Amino acid sequence: MANKTQILYVERFSVFQRFIHLLIIISFLTLAITGMALKFAMEDWAQWIAYFMGGFQVLGALHRFCAVITFFYFFLTMILLYTKWKESGLSLFAFIFDPEGLMPNLNDAKELVATFKWFFGGKRPYYGRWIYWEKFDFMAVFWGIAVIGSSGLALWFPEQFSRLLPGYWLNIATIIHSDEALLASGFIFTIHFYNTHLRPEKFPLDPVIFVGTITLDELKHERPREYDQLVASGELEKITTRRAPAAWLRRMATLFGLFVVTTGSVLIVSIIITMFKYIQGGAH
Amino acid sequence: MKKTVGTCTRAWALTYLLLITMLACGSNALALGNEDCMDCHGDQELTTEKDGHTISLYVDAERFAKSVHAENGCVSCHEEADVEGDEHPFPMSPVTCDGCHDEIGEVYAQSAHGEAIKRNDPFAPKCQDCHTKHSILPPDDPASTTYPLQIPYTCGRCHREGSAMTTTHELGQHNIVENYSMSIHGEGLFKNGLIVTAVCSSCHSAHNVQKASHPESTVNRDNIIHTCEQCHVGIVKQFKNSVHSPTVTKTDKKLPVCTDCHTAHTIAEVNRRDFRLIIARQCGNCHERYTETYRETYHGRASLLRGGEKTAKCSDCHGSHDILPAQDERSHINTANIVETCSQCHPKANLSFTTYLPHADHHDKERYPYLFYTFWAMTGLLVGTFAFFGLHTILWVPRSIIERIKMLARGGH
Repeated sequence: MANKTQILYVERFSVFQRFIHLLIIISFLTLAITGMALKFAMEDWAQWIAYFMGGFQVLGALHRFCAVITFFYFFLTMILLYTKWKESGLSLFAFIFDPEGLMPNLNDAKELVATFKWFFGGKRPYYGRWIYWEKFDFMAVFWGIAVIGSSGLALWFPEQFSRLLPGYWLNIATIIHSDEALLASGFIFTIHFYNTHLRPEKFPLDPVIFVGTITLDELKHERPREYDQLVASGELEKITTRRAPAAWLRRMATLFGLFVVTTGSVLIVSIIITMFKYIQGGAH
Repeated sequence: MKKTVGTCTRAWALTYLLLITMLACGSNALALGNEDCMDCHGDQELTTEKDGHTISLYVDAERFAKSVHAENGCVSCHEEADVEGDEHPFPMSPVTCDGCHDEIGEVYAQSAHGEAIKRNDPFAPKCQDCHTKHSILPPDDPASTTYPLQIPYTCGRCHREGSAMTTTHELGQHNIVENYSMSIHGEGLFKNGLIVTAVCSSCHSAHNVQKASHPESTVNRDNIIHTCEQCHVGIVKQFKNSVHSPTVTKTDKKLPVCTDCHTAHTIAEVNRRDFRLIIARQCGNCHERYTETYRETYHGRASLLRGGEKTAKCSDCHGSHDILPAQDERSHINTANIVETCSQCHPKANLSFTTYLPHADHHDKERYPYLFYTFWAMTGLLVGTFAFFGLHTILWVPRSIIERIKMLARGGH
């Protein structure tokens, strides 16, 4: 074990970014719980949720409140991207399609192939700051909010919506909203949880999104391309620190993170069991 | 002047009635005075043995004097006791009431209770089991066993769950006294003290009680509408013009009657939570597919959760006793009225809004192709995404375990 004071830390997420993610966690989890209770209302577990939360109207109120939080963090993300763009000094096009930025590109496809080779014993890919599965998570916020958000608004204000489009489009909006939400919850509570927290390398939790920093060793091992780029540009010196994340912050991160991961997992397991039941029932 | 004539007429009528009664109740009616009987039967200690039980032969003269039969002599019912001297034959044959109450007696003999008497059913109720023996009071006397407030207790003596009668007989309904007490009719009686509310005899009749399966029964499917109509005149009038009425819809299928939706003994107030929660199920007994598709939409889904009684139920859109096909312009869901119908809950509803499908079915490709294709496109997206990332994750597991082991080997954690 290295001496604690010898460990170097690198900041990966700013306080603002961590705050946005906290908003996402709180709103997304609440939206998923309240929405799934309605989607699977014929199941006991959904009825328990509605019972303990005080009824479907409470679910609806919480769902709409968290929808507002969602639009708010979407807005904050736009501000974040705007400031990043201004700091970069690049043109808008160059910023969006920055090879090291969040926009998926050809290199991601190559890394995807390299990753599958790595699974079967090849070399670990030369990952950079954002790996393709992380980009996918981030992009989900964009198309997810666009799809779920617009259909959700239609269902929130059905009378007003039907002045713009025929009323039966609300039925279409219901299918889209509900299935897209199933996709989003299913994805976050299984794939994202696994990729980020539950895979054996990180199990049970990667606290970086709460504490903000990772060790220099982790950076070197996990994102060698980013590390090499930081060394080459001389940036590394500037962003490394010997200050470890505060003990209380790490404790809070572990407690909160495990609570969220557990809650999401229980919900998705209930949904999966229910879906299996339907598929089996449908086959008869 | 007029008044004098009236009083005179009444006096004559009374005398006439008395004569008729005397004639009807036996020529020797007044031969033996009630006081003679009370010499023995006024003794509270007077008993006899029957089937191993001690039976009191005491008659409370005071109570009898207040009963409807106060003017009758003992021997008008106990005819065999009309003998010279102190001793009458013993035992005497049982008292029958149909000597005077012949019409009721005939009806009663045909009823389920009367049939039970013929079968020698030990639990078969005789006149006195409901009306008492010597304390019979008119049904409008609050102390009468047949006064509306008393009837559930009178019938409940045998018909309460767990009684010797209910445990030895096969009966179609259970917990009827409890259920009735909780029902809107029972509440009207017990809580609000309404004597105009329905009690047992209002629906089952007093003397012609029959099992519901009996075609003559007042609670038989074919007669129940008429039975309820005795009180619910306006509702039945509406119902007879609705799609559920046999006069409107000619079909071989079973058309619903009052009890199919409202049940019998558990009948609830329609705005009450417990009734609103069963509406979709009740309609679904016949309209199964519509209840299923209703449950696929927001109204139906939310109705399954706590507080769900507040969402729209079948009757909120279609009406209840006045349901008509959508093409009929009096129908609640006809284009002429549908905006108003939706406006009950959605005050800003407009005609476009009413094209929302409250029975949407994304499995029905013929009727709702846009729902069908949306559903399958979304399903494809889900299956595709999860298939790819699921595979990605599963293949990652062994590699990730190896990485962790390497980390441990390096002295990490």
